[in-house]
Amino acid sequence: MHIPDGYLSPQTCGVFGAAMVPIWTTAGRRVRRIVKSRYVPLVAIGAAYSFLVMMFNVPVPDGTTAHAIGAVLIAVVLGPAAAVVAVSIALTIQALFFGDGGVLALGVNTFNMAFVMPLVGYAVYWCACRNVPLTSRRRPIAAGLGGYIGMNAAALCAGVELGLQPTLFHSANGTPLYAPFHLSQSIPAMALAHLTVAGAVEFALTASVVGYLQRANLPLLRINHGAAPPTGRAHAPGPRLGRRWGLIGLATMIALTPLGLLAPGGAFGEDAPSDLALGKYHLTAIPSGLRHYAGFWHNALFDGYGFGHDNHPAMGYLISAIVGVAAIGAVIAAAFALASLRRRSPDVDDPLEAAKT
Amino acid sequence: MSASSTTPAWLLQSEVGLCPCACVGKRRKGRIIEKTTSGIAALLRQTLFSDDIADERGLLQRLDARVKVVSLLGLLVVAAFVRHIPVLLAMYAATLALAAASKLRLSFFVKRVWLFIPLFTGIVVLPATLNVVTRGDIVVPLGTWFGHHLGLTRQGLWSAGLVVTRVATSTSLVVLLTITTPWAKLLASLRALRAPRLLILVLGMAYRYLFHLLNAVSDMYVARRARTVTAATDTTSGRLLVGSSAGALLGKAQALSDEVHMAMIARGYEGDARSLDTFRLRLVDIEFVLACIAGAVATVGFDRLLGR
Repeated sequence: MHIPDGYLSPQTCGVFGAAMVPIWTTAGRRVRRIVKSRYVPLVAIGAAYSFLVMMFNVPVPDGTTAHAIGAVLIAVVLGPAAAVVAVSIALTIQALFFGDGGVLALGVNTFNMAFVMPLVGYAVYWCACRNVPLTSRRRPIAAGLGGYIGMNAAALCAGVELGLQPTLFHSANGTPLYAPFHLSQSIPAMALAHLTVAGAVEFALTASVVGYLQRANLPLLRINHGAAPPTGRAHAPGPRLGRRWGLIGLATMIALTPLGLLAPGGAFGEDAPSDLALGKYHLTAIPSGLRHYAGFWHNALFDGYGFGHDNHPAMGYLISAIVGVAAIGAVIAAAFALASLRRRSPDVDDPLEAAKT
Repeated sequence: MSASSTTPAWLLQSEVGLCPCACVGKRRKGRIIEKTTSGIAALLRQTLFSDDIADERGLLQRLDARVKVVSLLGLLVVAAFVRHIPVLLAMYAATLALAAASKLRLSFFVKRVWLFIPLFTGIVVLPATLNVVTRGDIVVPLGTWFGHHLGLTRQGLWSAGLVVTRVATSTSLVVLLTITTPWAKLLASLRALRAPRLLILVLGMAYRYLFHLLNAVSDMYVARRARTVTAATDTTSGRLLVGSSAGALLGKAQALSDEVHMAMIARGYEGDARSLDTFRLRLVDIEFVLACIAGAVATVGFDRLLGR
């Protein structure tokens, strides 16, 4: 994901470099405000650590190797603002001294790996672990998931940046001047490598380090988790703001569902057989298998997200959305109820409580 | 080269304990941990070697670090705007001339640039030469694929060549800058060019800690190997070891950070840092800047002459 110089136009590099200036300034101010004068060695150590994490290479079956970045791990331990500064510095050292990533492309690389990755990953971790005890088994999994999603978000950004080059920058005869791959090629290429190998490595490293810190060095985990209850489940119930906002968001989305009726045409591969443009696919008749199985299920309650006729399509859409959300909620509630019935052992989230019992 | 007289010989060996000509000992495929430790040794070797080169008395080593930073980064921007392979090749030839004038061994310089990034770039951009990626006039037919003609297109080859030569030129310019400038001087020059003072401070400390933590990682693996009686084949324990080592390293790093902070406070740190380096422009610096400006203008002019 370290884009070298030459792949991106100077205009792209300039835009991303300019975009990173306020991000660096804000992150620096936040870190300075939170940890005062301690931030200089703390961030420097974070940068050196991120650099080292990138050296833990894992072999990949095709003969190459993949490595983690550690941006989400640093965000979990030191906070997202510190992660932005620390990973930016690690990338700067890599670009200047080891030729890993370009100097002109530093703004782009830092945007992907030092901004998008830690923030997206930390958002996932934060959503999954608010008010959860520091020793909860949920934290390593959430941190790993944050690392996986953060890395893939960064890879998606890199794919988009590379894929835009031939469209935006080409010679008079259409020859690409920089990265030659279009979006349809660059995004799948980046996604394949990061969804399968690099993302898995990031997940494993982030989850295992957070798990290790829970077992062996809890004070380190407290640097960025001042408000989190240290152990056990018996903590003051947090504000129910998250759930309330979630319900408001859900209701808003349900109210907006009739907007789907404004979209013209249908999705590819979802047309009714009678609506197929046969000539476009060099066909003279509907394929027999398609015709035979097309009407296999006739008993849908809200066929086509409506009442089966077109008198009140918006109302049909709304009621479909409400019934769908209620059905999903009922299935999830039933699954949780089943899981809680099966849980016979006492709570082992808290090692201290477990030791007492 | 004088570098070998200052860098320890054992550090220049790829595998300590084996004869460099492979006549003694048995080489085996390393595992993840061995590869990581060998990577760390390679990193240390590369850095020490770079410091040796930065101490030579070549053209670029004699220049003011600020002049080098501004001139070579300016040429980097020019290379990014160039649209023709012959012009980029001329720029690359100029970097080779600069390397020779700076007493760099050309084989080392070329290998350092071409062995890693541009070769990787070549492999990555190779598919772009096919007509399925870059449409155009097929100049090298490769047969048919499910009824479609497959071949290398003129536009694809030109585009791939452009990317590879641009990456090679850009990398050469950055390598020239970093390999001929000691780290401390490079940071001081960035500070002199009005980079934020605290950014430079953190950057300098991170670079120093890097080697401290590298040693810590190396020590941890040596300790582990010293306590391993048989060949470790359990991949699960290997994975756990990597996770625990990374976590333990984080703890060590945090402890080091606390100690350094206390030391800084004890020495009177109040949130600001002062640099001892002073810079002075000389005639050779001005001549180099003028030569770079002339080269940049000529490059852009030739590129425009060749058309868009």
